[in-house]
Amino acid sequence: MAKYNLKVAHFYGDLMNTYGDIGNIIALKYYGKQMDTDITSDIVSIGDDFDDQQYDLAVFGGGQDYEQMVISKDIPHKKEAIARFINGGKPFLAICGGFQLLGQYYVDANGEKIPGIGVLSHYTVTQSSHRSAMQNQTRFIGDIVIKNPQNGDLYHGFENHNGRTFLGDDEQPLGIVQEGHGNNGEDKTEGAIYKHTYCSYFHGPILTRNGNLAKQMLLEALHNKYPNEDFSKQESLIIKPTF
Amino acid sequence: MSIKSSFAEFAGRSSYWFLHNVFHGGSSLPGKITLKLDPNILSEFSKKYDLVIITGTNGKTLTTALSTRVLREKYPQVVTNPSGSNMEQGIVTAFITAPRAKQKGLAVLEVDEANVRMVTKHIQPIAIVMTNLFRDQMDRYGEIYTTYDKILAGVKLAPKATIIANGDEQIFNTKDLPNPVIYYGFANDHQEDLRAPANTDGLLCTKCQHILHFHNITYASLGEYFCPNCGFHRPELTYKVTAIGSMTPTSSKFQIDGHPFEIGVGGLYNIYNALAAYSLGRFLGVSPAQIQNAFQADEHVFGRQEIINVDGKEVTLVLVKNPVGLNQVIDMVLTDPEPFSFGFLLNAHYADGIDTSWIWDGNFEKLNNHSIKKFFTGGERYKDISTRLTMAGINDIEEEPDLAKVIDKIKQMPTKHVYVLSSYTAMLQLRKELAERKYIQGGMD
Repeated sequence: MAKYNLKVAHFYGDLMNTYGDIGNIIALKYYGKQMDTDITSDIVSIGDDFDDQQYDLAVFGGGQDYEQMVISKDIPHKKEAIARFINGGKPFLAICGGFQLLGQYYVDANGEKIPGIGVLSHYTVTQSSHRSAMQNQTRFIGDIVIKNPQNGDLYHGFENHNGRTFLGDDEQPLGIVQEGHGNNGEDKTEGAIYKHTYCSYFHGPILTRNGNLAKQMLLEALHNKYPNEDFSKQESLIIKPTF
Repeated sequence: MSIKSSFAEFAGRSSYWFLHNVFHGGSSLPGKITLKLDPNILSEFSKKYDLVIITGTNGKTLTTALSTRVLREKYPQVVTNPSGSNMEQGIVTAFITAPRAKQKGLAVLEVDEANVRMVTKHIQPIAIVMTNLFRDQMDRYGEIYTTYDKILAGVKLAPKATIIANGDEQIFNTKDLPNPVIYYGFANDHQEDLRAPANTDGLLCTKCQHILHFHNITYASLGEYFCPNCGFHRPELTYKVTAIGSMTPTSSKFQIDGHPFEIGVGGLYNIYNALAAYSLGRFLGVSPAQIQNAFQADEHVFGRQEIINVDGKEVTLVLVKNPVGLNQVIDMVLTDPEPFSFGFLLNAHYADGIDTSWIWDGNFEKLNNHSIKKFFTGGERYKDISTRLTMAGINDIEEEPDLAKVIDKIKQMPTKHVYVLSSYTAMLQLRKELAERKYIQGGMD
């Protein structure tokens, strides 16, 4: 029995799981164990209520177009609770489709503009909507390395996306592109940071390759939940490279 | 046959003879040459053969091999394409290299999902068998709904073909087709209300977009599904697996429609393949006794799961390429009653899938509950797979990045049974090494 415990809301984990996104939960559990912390997770899916008070962390993965379109109609019912969770500074990881749905809107592969919940200020368009035959040429596919401008950490991953995301004024990129394409192939940004919400197009999955980010999110959640505890031991955990 | 087609076929046959006898290869080039000379050559073969198409994500190769054997019990001339040659060129090669038929023959072809249309454009099949649709190497293939649309584009050109589809797979029950449809699946009398594991795809009810529930799950999202919201449910099954008997990595006993069967290969997914072959056989008038006979023949058809003797070690080499297939292999390996060692070789070239994220959908955690004596990893991306195993709670993993040295690693394993799961190009490299050291004949097939 670990000394601490944290509960993860796994948004639409049964539908948004296309690129091994479950690995982010596995990584949280793995590093949680090394930080004397039990991690449990619940899937919060279509038709389920999201009680933000019950959860300390959230993970929201990427999926196929069809599933993402269906979720875009369900997630407005959870908007208020998600906004409270994010604005309250609880750590939230949103990948690919999850990243897009937290923002203002996205344009799908058929060129249709689909509203997000607008808790974050970015928006997503697509380059290939007018030339679908060229889709494979315009998709960003390949290895990517970025550098977190806040702490200098390098993150490694694999990108595979059609959407081009542009950040709002109140968002910082998760990293500056060193190799690869990033959010839109133009401004060198990749992902987004807003309070303790981390967004990215990274597969890999991101937390399995970048344990420092997992550690950072876990520490934020621990400090939120146990404000008077001393976590210096957890903070001193050394993350071994995994790739 | 027109002069053009005759000449095209002659050119293809000659090139095959040349490639086969001089270079010991050649499965797609003769078809390519023939198609170049006569793009409509497949239409010519429709006069000489009745056609059955087998398509889907996983299980095409074994279902085709088993179906061919089953149908040979009744039909004197059955033509098929070799494993993996499932695009138009490979299919043409299968026809031009077949012995010339005296009477109308039967062609049983494994066809890539996107290539069904290329075939039905020229030949009206009597049946199309659909195995399953799972996401597969997403950097190369699209989403399952797109893939199904590609198959349907081919079905549309063949409205009289009987569809013989896996009834446990929801997606095959989503579109109203003019074709006659027959479903096969696993019989079930449980009435539980189950939900599929989180990392499964195809879980949305395609009628009302709620999450599907199950009375019974065979694996992944296959089973007796139902939608608690709109009442959509699995269709009536014509052919059913009615009992599962003992299962090991090299044998499976089961009953279909009450008839006992045994195949010399493990894994629940292979029972689906046998069921598909049985359903096709029954549809074409083969008796259960003849099918039993066909399944028992000892000819080597399970190429993707052969056992290689490496100085006394019994090495089972299994190709893995997508999460659902991987999880079925893990389940199959765990049916071994003997202690064993477990290796995983991972590359990330185009043919492997350049994104290794899919390994995270593998249920490696299950390996903890078993007495596996030793783990090892290899290939260019050995660190990725080692990390996956480590985070599954497995400690003490031996690593051998150099595939040339993996054979020595295998020899050092403490058990007689060694399972090596491998991505495609890592498999090719290992097989080349095994061939050079005379443990196998060489090549991929």
